[in-house]
Amino acid sequence: MRFSPHGKRDRRLIVELTSMVDIVFLLIIFFMVTSDFARDARAEVDLPRLQGEQSGDSEEAGLFINIDASGNIILSTSESPVTIEQLRARLAVMVREEFSPKVTVRADREASIVRFNEVILALDESGISSARIATEVPR
Amino acid sequence: MNMTSMIDVTFLLLVYFMVSTVLASPEDRLMPTIRTQKEAASGSDADFQPQIVDVMLFDGKPVYRLGQLDIRSATELTQRLSNLPTELGVFIRGGEGVSVGFTMAAVQAARDAGFDQVTYVPLD
Repeated sequence: MRFSPHGKRDRRLIVELTSMVDIVFLLIIFFMVTSDFARDARAEVDLPRLQGEQSGDSEEAGLFINIDASGNIILSTSESPVTIEQLRARLAVMVREEFSPKVTVRADREASIVRFNEVILALDESGISSARIATEVPR
Repeated sequence: MNMTSMIDVTFLLLVYFMVSTVLASPEDRLMPTIRTQKEAASGSDADFQPQIVDVMLFDGKPVYRLGQLDIRSATELTQRLSNLPTELGVFIRGGEGVSVGFTMAAVQAARDAGFDQVTYVPLD
């Protein structure tokens, strides 16, 4: 029978942490990248469930105009809803400051088309002739 | 090297991002050309006799009116539009009483039917 030279075994447990730390850092990077920091501009609305253009182009987000199911116009979740006149004023400032402002309309699928049309007409009056209409891609 | 504190901080960061992340549904967009009624009425020759889809209420139910046809579903509208020439483009007019979802489904139907020129005309 063989015994260790000092009479007892070396019981120190060596934990190899390198791979775990690598994975944890990768997870952190993943969550940092996928976190939606522009969420403040996107109100909780049920967008029309449509495929959309499927162009795959990523463009500058621009101004989000949210229209909820009750017809409220929300420009930021941290602000109260705005009236159509306030929206017009905001758009006028945008047009003065930017050459070709980008606008995305995020309208709830159950919202009345009348309110949507008012927003579209306000855009047109401000000189913004194109708008992106957000859709939710069905899974 | 004592890594305990670093691993603690790293795990806290990981938990923070996991909790604060919202798994949002993927979004896309539709980009129809927008023209007001006034502009559409005083169109150039290129707009002569555009194909028009009126999104409206008929007998209390939303329909897509294409010529004399009243179409109830976006799928059927896509099929009908697929039989039309796509060069002239199509106008979608959204009127009172219908929802944004139902109207935008007409824009999507026109795109799916192969129309490059889809114009949305908001009715007052």
